[in-house]
This record gives sequence, C-alpha cells and structure tokens, in this order.
Amino acid sequence: MTDSITPETDIEIAEKPARRSFLKTTALGALGAYVGMNIPFAENLKAFAQGMNEEDIMAGKPDLILLGDRPLNAETPAHLLDDEVTPYERFFVRNNGGVPDTALNMDAEGWTLTIDGEVETPLVLTLDDLKNNFEVITRRLVIECGGNGRAYFNPGASGNQWTTGAVGCAEWTGVRLSDVLNAAGIKDTAVYTAHYSNDPHLSGDPERDAISRGVPIEKALAEGGMIAWEMNGEPIPAVHGFPLRVINPGYPGSTSQKFLTRIWVRDQVHDGAKMTGYSYRMPAYPVAPGTEVPEEDMVIMTDMPVKSLITFPQSGTQAPAGAATEVRGHAWSGSGDIASVDVSIDFGATWIPAELEPAVNKFAWQRFRANVTLPEAGYYEVWARATDMTGEAQPPVVPGWNPRGYGNNMQHRIALIAT
Amino acid sequence: MFATSHILRGALGVSLACLVTAASAQVAYDPMRAAPNPLMPLTPMQPATTDSATPESASAEVLPNPDFGNLPDAEGVEETFYQCVACHSTAIILQQRLTDERWDYLWTWMIEDQGMYEPEDEIRDEILTYLKTHFSSER
Repeated sequence: MTDSITPETDIEIAEKPARRSFLKTTALGALGAYVGMNIPFAENLKAFAQGMNEEDIMAGKPDLILLGDRPLNAETPAHLLDDEVTPYERFFVRNNGGVPDTALNMDAEGWTLTIDGEVETPLVLTLDDLKNNFEVITRRLVIECGGNGRAYFNPGASGNQWTTGAVGCAEWTGVRLSDVLNAAGIKDTAVYTAHYSNDPHLSGDPERDAISRGVPIEKALAEGGMIAWEMNGEPIPAVHGFPLRVINPGYPGSTSQKFLTRIWVRDQVHDGAKMTGYSYRMPAYPVAPGTEVPEEDMVIMTDMPVKSLITFPQSGTQAPAGAATEVRGHAWSGSGDIASVDVSIDFGATWIPAELEPAVNKFAWQRFRANVTLPEAGYYEVWARATDMTGEAQPPVVPGWNPRGYGNNMQHRIALIAT
Repeated sequence: MFATSHILRGALGVSLACLVTAASAQVAYDPMRAAPNPLMPLTPMQPATTDSATPESASAEVLPNPDFGNLPDAEGVEETFYQCVACHSTAIILQQRLTDERWDYLWTWMIEDQGMYEPEDEIRDEILTYLKTHFSSER
C-alpha cells in the first residue's frame, strides 16, 4: 500500500468538494463532543465510522436499523426508501471488514487502481487518469445485498438478519467498467474478475482480505458495470467505499467492491475471500429447509431475483374506508427491467395492475403506483408483486431455503388500517 | 433521532393481539416484522424472556449479561465472549438461530478461513455448547 497514513491525532474531515476546506481537530474525543449537536459541519460527520461508539457511527444515518457495530451493518426501513434516488442518510451499510483509514480521513492522495492479469497492457490508473481518459457517466444503479431477506428463512441462515432494507438506488458517477477493461485489452484467456481493496480484515491480520469477490468477464464487460467515485454528486462517503468502488448492478452487492485498488483479470473463476464455501452460493438443486448441502454442490449466485418494495405509506398507517389511497414503491430485477407490478389488498386473492414508470437507465429501480380502495373499516394488507421481462414474478412466500439465506424475493406486504 | 428509531423498532415487536391498541396509538404495525433486533434496548412491550421469537426462549430464565455484550448469562458466556469479540461484536451472534451442524461448520470456517484463534478442545466444546444452546433453530 502506498497510501499516505494520516496520524491519528490529525483528523481531516473532507467538506463538499465545491468548498474544499478542512475542519481539523486533535482527537476523536473532541469530535465526539460534536455529535448530536447542530453544528455547521454536521454533514462531514458521515466520514467517521470507526473508533467511535455505536451512536456516533450512525450519526449520519440516524434512521437506519443497526444490525451490527463491528463490522458495521445497518438496514433501511421500507418507508424510508421512498426517494427516487436513495440519499446517503438512508443508504444501507454492509461491511465485511473495517472501514480503512484512507476512507475515514477522506484521503485519496496517491490512490491508484491497478488492472492486471489476463490483459494485453496492465494499467495503473490514478483518479485523474480515470476522470480524464474515459467517458464520465452518471447512472442510477440498485445495489442490494445478496442476503437481503435472510431474516425470513426457517431454520435460520447464518449471517446478518436483513429484513427488507439492504437495498438502495443511488446515483453513481464514474466510468464504464467495460471501457477500463477494454483499454487494458482483455485476452481470450480471461474468465473472471477479482476485486481488491484496502479495508482491513476483522482479525487485524494484514495478510487476509476482508472480502475479494468478482464477476464472470462477460458480466464485467456488459452494460451497467461502473467504476465510480461519486455517489449522489459527492465523493463516495467513507462507509460506501471512498474513494473508488466498482459496481456490478444486478449481481449481489458484494461484487461491487468498495475501496477499490485492483481488478485482477483471472484465467479461472476467482477464489478470493467469500468466493468459496457457502459464501454467496446457492445449492445446485432444490433442498428441503435445514438440509446440509455439501460444499461442492454450492454454486455462485449471479443475477439477483426480481423484487419490489412498498415504500409508501408506512406499514400500519390508517386510511379512510371507501376512498382511494395511493400505494407506491420501487421494483427492480437483476436481469434488468421490470415488465409489470401488481398489488393486492386481499392477501393475494385478486390483483390490481399498478402504474409502472420506465427505468431512467438499465438497473435503476422503477417507480410503481396504485390506488387502492379499502371497502370497510378494519385490517388490510397490501401486497406487491413485480414481474420481470423474462416473465418471472415474486413468490408469495420465502423461496427455496438455502444454507446462507440468499435471494429471498418474497412479496413485500404492509398493513393498512381502514377507518 | 437514534432513540426514536429504537422506540419505533420496539413497536414493531408487538404481537398481532396488540394490533388494535397499536393502531389506535398510531404505532406502525408491520406484517413483515422479523425476530426482534437484539441491539434494541428491552422495553416492557417486548420482554426478551417471554417472546417466543427471541433466541433466549429456549432458556426462559436466562437474562442478557451487559458485561459480556448482552450474551445470555449462562455457563460458557465468558469464554464465548472473549473468543468471539477478538474479531466481531456480539451483535452478529445475537442474531443467529442455527442448526448444530451449521455452528460446527462456522467454527471450522472461522478457524480455517477467518484466522480465528483455536482454543483448547475443552474451551471449544464449552463455547459450541453455549452457542448451540442459546442461538439454535433446533431447541
């Protein structure tokens, strides 16, 4: 690692790039005193996610549900995902290791991205190289954790018990992954990408990678893949991968490596940290709940399944009986666009087609809206069911049990109380 | 704000029987609520020792021990705590409800893939028994 190390006693907090100035303080404790106060630099506190207590870590994301504090993992309640573009404050956090000091300090000095392996010309690119030598694009891309919905598997599956909120759709600015790979020249022997970053392993062992996953070279060269340095028009915040991350939309979020330092193009399927064993793998055949599946029968997850989320109103809201109530949310699929969304107010007995907006670009989520009229006072549930372009729709119950609880795309449902 | 979200989360833990009360109090009911979040402070509405969805249900008398990351205060808690928090907080343990075989697998995975320190057999057995007792889908 050639990245500069900032002394612990000299903390720099990056401001918005337009007003590039720095707030300096001398100790984390001094910063801690600011948390919770209305201060001019409150926006900057998001840079800090380590070495602080639980509440301080979440200061920039006060409404998320904390699942774990070390490593930091937090999900977003469904009704807080109503924005077309998920803001930083409501974007879920999934970390496999620690957040590196370079990210915490928002220090990109000397950062480079290496492209090597099965390429004609290995590249070492600075952030300026990326910004100047390739077409810069901005795309709205859904990132969803492969384990979103794990909490509903029975028997339980190991890992963070995400319910519905390990998903977000932010606006990412960067370059096409395919442009960068093609600039290096992909050899015929290329099979898979292998992503590397500088986030420390939980054990503290510098020889171990917290996570190092990849995608088939065909996926890496396909439409959608990006190497991004901005999220929602600002430098990618610390916990989301400052200063650089790869994004492979449609695949499990773990293939969108944060803190990206290297993409090694390999001549075999990558076998890095959390590529093997049961990590991000599903049984090759249907299994009964609780089955112990041999490791050699586990296959790597690729496209995430079709899914939708009701983001308005909040579950449990009261609505007038006999009058139209708007219900809305988002739908997305790992395979690309959504064909239709239907909603039900009678536990799936009958379905009402929702209005569906087109995606602003492939792999952005799509807004759906429906007006429902609850006939009489009482308890109702609204269910949503998205269908993708291949004709696949969300199941009403938890789909195929698997040892690690991946790929749960069961229909989302909320309660409405008619009065 | 953080406290508010905790209160909301507490509300999500109420049973369906409380629905009328919850609705009239304008507290959100969620048909997709999962097991209570172990990081949430206990509230009178969500007693950990009686809610069948909590990991502690297998041993109703066992209370969380704040000195050991709120792990259930039972034989093996201290060994488990110090073994595990070398790498991660107790939050991930508190979320699990696994088969015995998965716990055995995870133990090996943590040693072989994640660099966990391997204790003596006696300690290992004590910790695995503790995990299988309190964070189980089998009991």
